[in-house]
Amino acid sequence: MGKLKTGHLVEAGLWLCLCLFLYVFSFDFERPIEIYKFGASAWPRAIILLMAIAAFGQLYHQWKYGDEASMSLIGTTVDEDEDAEEAAHEAHHENAKWYLSTLGLLSIPFVYMRVPDWIAAGADLDKTGLHITRIVVAAILIAIVVYFIRHHRVRVALMFPLFFAALLEDFGFYSLAPFFIVGVMYLFGERRPRQMAMITALIYGLVLVLFVSILFVGLPIGNIRPFYDIGGWIVTVLQ
Amino acid sequence: MDTFNNFLQGSITLFSDPINILIFLGGIVGGMLFGAIPGVSMLTLAAILLPFTAHLTAEQGIMLFSVIYCTGVYGGAITAILFNIPGAPENAPTAFDGYPMTKNGQAGKAVGAAVMCSALGGVVSTIVMMVATAPIADWAISAFGPPEIFALVFFGLAVAASVGAKTFWKGWLSILIGLMVAVVGLDPVGGIERYDFDMPYLLAGIHFIPTILGFFAVSEIFVQAEKKVRGSYIAPKISVDFPTLKELIEHKVAIIRSMCIGFFCGILPGIGATLAAFMGYNEAVRWSKKPEEFGTGKLEGVISSETANNAATGAAMIPLLALGLPGGALTAMMVGVFQMHDMEPGPLVFLNSADLVWVVFAAMFFANCSILLIGWLETKTIINLLRIPFQFLAPMILLLATVGAYAVRGLTIDVVVMFLAGVVGFFLRRSGYSVAGIVLGLILGKIGEQTFAQAMQMLHFEWSGFLDRPIAAGLLGVGFLTLAATIYGEFFKKSPAAKSDTPSEPRHSPDA
Repeated sequence: MGKLKTGHLVEAGLWLCLCLFLYVFSFDFERPIEIYKFGASAWPRAIILLMAIAAFGQLYHQWKYGDEASMSLIGTTVDEDEDAEEAAHEAHHENAKWYLSTLGLLSIPFVYMRVPDWIAAGADLDKTGLHITRIVVAAILIAIVVYFIRHHRVRVALMFPLFFAALLEDFGFYSLAPFFIVGVMYLFGERRPRQMAMITALIYGLVLVLFVSILFVGLPIGNIRPFYDIGGWIVTVLQ
Repeated sequence: MDTFNNFLQGSITLFSDPINILIFLGGIVGGMLFGAIPGVSMLTLAAILLPFTAHLTAEQGIMLFSVIYCTGVYGGAITAILFNIPGAPENAPTAFDGYPMTKNGQAGKAVGAAVMCSALGGVVSTIVMMVATAPIADWAISAFGPPEIFALVFFGLAVAASVGAKTFWKGWLSILIGLMVAVVGLDPVGGIERYDFDMPYLLAGIHFIPTILGFFAVSEIFVQAEKKVRGSYIAPKISVDFPTLKELIEHKVAIIRSMCIGFFCGILPGIGATLAAFMGYNEAVRWSKKPEEFGTGKLEGVISSETANNAATGAAMIPLLALGLPGGALTAMMVGVFQMHDMEPGPLVFLNSADLVWVVFAAMFFANCSILLIGWLETKTIINLLRIPFQFLAPMILLLATVGAYAVRGLTIDVVVMFLAGVVGFFLRRSGYSVAGIVLGLILGKIGEQTFAQAMQMLHFEWSGFLDRPIAAGLLGVGFLTLAATIYGEFFKKSPAAKSDTPSEPRHSPDA
């Protein structure tokens, strides 16, 4: 098996699955174009083919050289990637269990984006009911995040901004941003309450003054009361 | 002599009106700041300002955008060097050596080199632009049809695949992901929806600004988060040590080569500063006697990339003003400014609005000169950002990135896409893939497909038609040769680690 490891086979398998997925869905748009005989699917399929070839090429490289960097024509690598790999290696974040549990945590934002709608549709809720459902689901998910935050900081750090983005539409930038700032600082190891409060006020204030007061950028104010009212009030005061 | 008189007239118009001066200075400071602040870019500023240019004259609007373009391209280099977060894709190659220089305690020298070379590349490009606009535009436009542009895109990708990733194959996979992301949305010929999965948002395609912010700014924060957890995050050492004249003279060949590459790439519609920077960097590596030193903090890497991308800014204005063809995102926004004033960029602008053209040329010249002065002062301020603990900087970067992603189209889904790109970028980076390659693929993918379709229609679907066009054939040939040589190396050459008796050190080994 040369220098191949299980991880290499999984990596190649993931690439080939992606190719298969993209190829299958390319039939959705396989329609003729009168002035262009290759149609809309030729270009993506060429990319898929090259992707599959490159995945096999990578597998061959790993079979022959293991994890060594390749001898490229111009012989260079990006340090940032080495940093990232090194960080992962030293933090022992390379096993399948870690990846699977990370994927589990990363599903939290998508749970929020889908589940309240399903509940509302299933229970035939009106708009107010949907909003209450969203608040309840968000509260449960936040509790789960808080539970994991102490022992799985890297995983939560990956998921946290995505969760913030998922909540933006409903809860608005103005209500969420202070909590987001505090959360990120906590995930990066800051524990001093006074510093956290000061920096939160400073960053929040700067962003609001620069973008809302000076540049008049419209940021999401949210859809759910009272968050919508808070956002609207802040915009009125600042502009 | 006419050129000089026109330039003089343009300069007088620029500096005789206080409003013009204010807009000029605002553009310089704004471009640099938005280029330098991690998480936002000159495109964010331009997107925010675009609606407000309706209140300015066409002359002022275009001048403002051209100044932002010049200084923003430079400003992005600062964060690329200090934080490994390029302000724009055209600064990505700057990070390859700039960031390692920061970690080696040479941040000041790297930023100093970026200041000098950006100014130099930009000024020379602007002068050449003023002198040779008409003949160069005539040649490029007549010699470069869709087959040539497609061939150049292919050549650029073939060369770029060798840079940035751990292996050649991972480099290509990175580029192919970018190309695939660019496929999402409507196809450029028939307007058929592709990979939209019945989501209206995906019909318009995945916007490149949130994607760039995610792959560069957000994924970098995640990498730093992981380091913080394992307690190995070390704030880079700072020293202000600008390169000496002697050092710059030592790199004169690289500077001149990058100027030529930058100007050549900039003049071609749709190519612009990004490919210029990558090619400038790649050629520096290719011609170097010690290519293995690139990526470890080599001054020549910063010089080549920064000279090339700023040299492209002046040249990118030629197809825009002469034919109305934007060279990139910012020049595309300039088309929007023209349209807001009921004007169309193109040959008629030279006839009907010569004043506008020469004010813009003068503004670009002085904006590039000002990089030297203001860049010098600003650098000392921005270097202090490094002293801020990362746990305070991280939320600021993420919040600014959120505003930047949202401000483009006012969609929260863009913010989701940005953070998702950050997560994907994080996993790809830790596996040895190149986020810069993905972004290059994303940007060049649309141009590549469009020009390929146009080329095939033009050549009546005869592949051999490419061979009848010397420039296209040459570029495709060199691109294929580059690929073939690398693949040959993969299959038939022994690994340097196998050749050596000593254990290989991945970071600095010759095969790295």
